[in-house]
Amino acid sequence: MRIRQLLALFCVTILIAGVTGACTQFEQRDKRFYYRALWNFALRENLRELDIEFNGVDFGHSHLYENLLLTGAQNVPVIEERARKETLRFIDSRPVLNPNEEAIAPTYMKLAWKAQNTFDEAHALHRATYDIYVSDLADRQAAIRKVLAFYQDSEYAITAKRLDHQRLDTFPYSKSFRRKFPLFNATIWSYHYLQVVVYDVLAASPDLLSKQKAVAPILRTYHAYLDQPPVEWTFMPMTEELSPKFAAEFPEIANVFNNLHMMHDNISDILTTDLLSTWEEKRKKIYRVTQAYYWASADATNPFIVGDGQPHHSGSTPAMKSGAPGGHSGH
Amino acid sequence: MDRYITRIAILLLLMVPTVVWALDHDNLDPNRPIAIEDAYVVPKGEIGVEGGILFSDRKQGRSRFVFQPQLIIGAFDNTQLELSSDVQTDPRSVVGDDKSGNLTVGALYNVNTETLSLPAFAARVQLGLPTGVSAKGVDTALTGVMTRSYGRWRTHVNVGYSFLGSPQGQERSGTYRVVAAVSYPLGYPTSFNDTIIANIFTRQSDLVGQRNPTGVGIGLRHQVSSRVVVDAGLGSEFIGPADRSVFFSTVGLSVGF
Repeated sequence: MRIRQLLALFCVTILIAGVTGACTQFEQRDKRFYYRALWNFALRENLRELDIEFNGVDFGHSHLYENLLLTGAQNVPVIEERARKETLRFIDSRPVLNPNEEAIAPTYMKLAWKAQNTFDEAHALHRATYDIYVSDLADRQAAIRKVLAFYQDSEYAITAKRLDHQRLDTFPYSKSFRRKFPLFNATIWSYHYLQVVVYDVLAASPDLLSKQKAVAPILRTYHAYLDQPPVEWTFMPMTEELSPKFAAEFPEIANVFNNLHMMHDNISDILTTDLLSTWEEKRKKIYRVTQAYYWASADATNPFIVGDGQPHHSGSTPAMKSGAPGGHSGH
Repeated sequence: MDRYITRIAILLLLMVPTVVWALDHDNLDPNRPIAIEDAYVVPKGEIGVEGGILFSDRKQGRSRFVFQPQLIIGAFDNTQLELSSDVQTDPRSVVGDDKSGNLTVGALYNVNTETLSLPAFAARVQLGLPTGVSAKGVDTALTGVMTRSYGRWRTHVNVGYSFLGSPQGQERSGTYRVVAAVSYPLGYPTSFNDTIIANIFTRQSDLVGQRNPTGVGIGLRHQVSSRVVVDAGLGSEFIGPADRSVFFSTVGLSVGF
């Protein structure tokens, strides 16, 4: 009897291994814990009003991707009204913990896990830098270098090189999301505004109280964007325009964040375009873009890397001209 | 009467906001709070400390309390190492591979993440060291784990086999167990702090000639902070030998850092 059971167990193991190995969609999960340090959760504990907003931001992309996927991006009211307003409701709920994105977008996570894990690690870098900027650290630069080194040690790390975002926005499917869903696109860009605008403001504020005061007008501006999405913007907010000191001090991290936000736009376009009609085509394109144009491991062959001093987007963001992202009172 | 009072006491205990430090409320670990785990491991680099108290009201024999501490380490890519023990009241009446005080070391390897066409699979190996009461020989357990989601519902299957290193008396030399479960995140789209889990299980009896203990359980995992999850669960073995648990309940805490 025992021999039969062992044989059965062995056969099941072989079957699982065979099915797993044969499947073209075999992917490993590769989750990493964040860089463990004294500053972990400093933002959550010390600057709760800003942390709550970032928790709300976490919902938006995943909810968008899931809805684009499930609707085939064919139903404008579902995306622009229902999904966008669900996102705004979640933000308004003032979540004190970041949401479980796999519960928000279970289908998208199964479609493109590697891309999601790329986002997750870059978002962890965002969180780590916020925690450091809120903490009372004697050597902030050293702390930032540590979290950057930890980030870049991952195979999922986005390149810290400057990418030509203008060209990355000229694929056949590019701009399809913003053209079809301008309100949600402007909402996404509003998140990106918030994510990068706070660095210089936090750095300029010497203590916690002044940091709390400094972010208040930023949050008012951000919520004004959520209420009236800035559809006049033609390009995503850039780190060096909204936090120039941060970008000058940590150009590699600024590049990672700009590239992260551009990758978000690319994936939104891929999920929206009719040029890629099946989920499998979209998955392949997402992985092609992620691995060849965004992962640091592709730096040697990445055709979108630009040299220092060259522009990496058109620089014609109307929002900048109108003073919207860069001109809020928090600066 | 004593049994009735005990049940009431345990139900009251369940109502106390006991803290079970869990790592991620959506990541299911065995016995936190019920007997099911998903195919996913803790992230590489994470350290988790879990603990819980199980109350088991048996049809025959004394009711038991079981303390279940566990250490989980995301030691390698897609692999977690575990160190755990069950410390039970009335330890000399325990039969099978879970002797009170046994130290168990184990590893769970997540083979793959779930994709559109493929469930997530994992494999677990555990060694039960004979450090407990009346324990002899090293017990070995192998478990296969599968997780497949349908929308926000996740289904899980655990199939395992335990080999007793040195069976005593009427103890079987090996026993199988099968658990199926569903889990669901409560609160979408405005809240993401709770996961409810329900399972159905059967396992070969520890002693020869007895029916399989078979039952159901239901539990909840609640994220209370960035690092802490609490859990609670209850259930019943409605079929099985005379000493089966007609009612069991548990509370626990998981902390990740």
